[in-house]
Amino acid sequence: MQIREDPENNETRALLNLVDFSGADVLEIGCGDGRLTYRYAEEAAKVTAIDPFEASIIRAKQNLPVKLRDRVEFQCIAFEDFAPQNRPAMFDTVILSWAL
Amino acid sequence: MVHALEEIWRLLKPQGWLIDIHPVAEFSHIKVFQRGTVLFTIPKPETYWEDVFQAEGAIAQLVERGLFLVERVDEFDYLTYASSVGELRAHRELINAFDNTPKDEARLSQEEELYSQVEAVLHEAGEGAEVAFHERGRVARIKPVVS
Repeated sequence: MQIREDPENNETRALLNLVDFSGADVLEIGCGDGRLTYRYAEEAAKVTAIDPFEASIIRAKQNLPVKLRDRVEFQCIAFEDFAPQNRPAMFDTVILSWAL
Repeated sequence: MVHALEEIWRLLKPQGWLIDIHPVAEFSHIKVFQRGTVLFTIPKPETYWEDVFQAEGAIAQLVERGLFLVERVDEFDYLTYASSVGELRAHRELINAFDNTPKDEARLSQEEELYSQVEAVLHEAGEGAEVAFHERGRVARIKPVVS
């Protein structure tokens, strides 16, 4: 048996109850292996998902569903390095995913 | 942490949202399930509660400074299932790779004892039993305030 994380989809339901991702530019901080990213990305216009752990980002890229490849970009970078490279008011939604 | 939140405020569009998802401190359990029934449950202390309190404090600080407004908060159960204690422990170690809190001997032996108990219940239950790590998550929708 493989590890099953939140098979009940409680986290996704709680997230989608709070925010409408339709057409949104999203930044996800602490995306890990993309577990949560895949669950909302279909609604978004573009998702930039970052995590400082290389092994996690490699897994995230490997498991990225084909249908999401044009809108999800995974980057192995810490937020403190990512933030200064970006202009103000770039994102509609920023998700801190178990990351603070 | 406060600086990271200030940077998030800068990167957000004025009509945007920060969505913060983090564990509810002092709520985590190891459970043994069999065909949907809970056979056993035991609290599982973690070392990162202090980080959770600091994170909540940082958000409160920025709300107080008028940079953010917490619009809505919700909670949910988050369960991670595995077929063995070893599998679950390996997964938790991967998830907690960020946690540099030193573990003292007493804590390590407490943890070993806890996992032995779980292992015994799992073994006794036999086929169809699985172990789960049960956390409670908190999700908040937070609006940047632009004056």
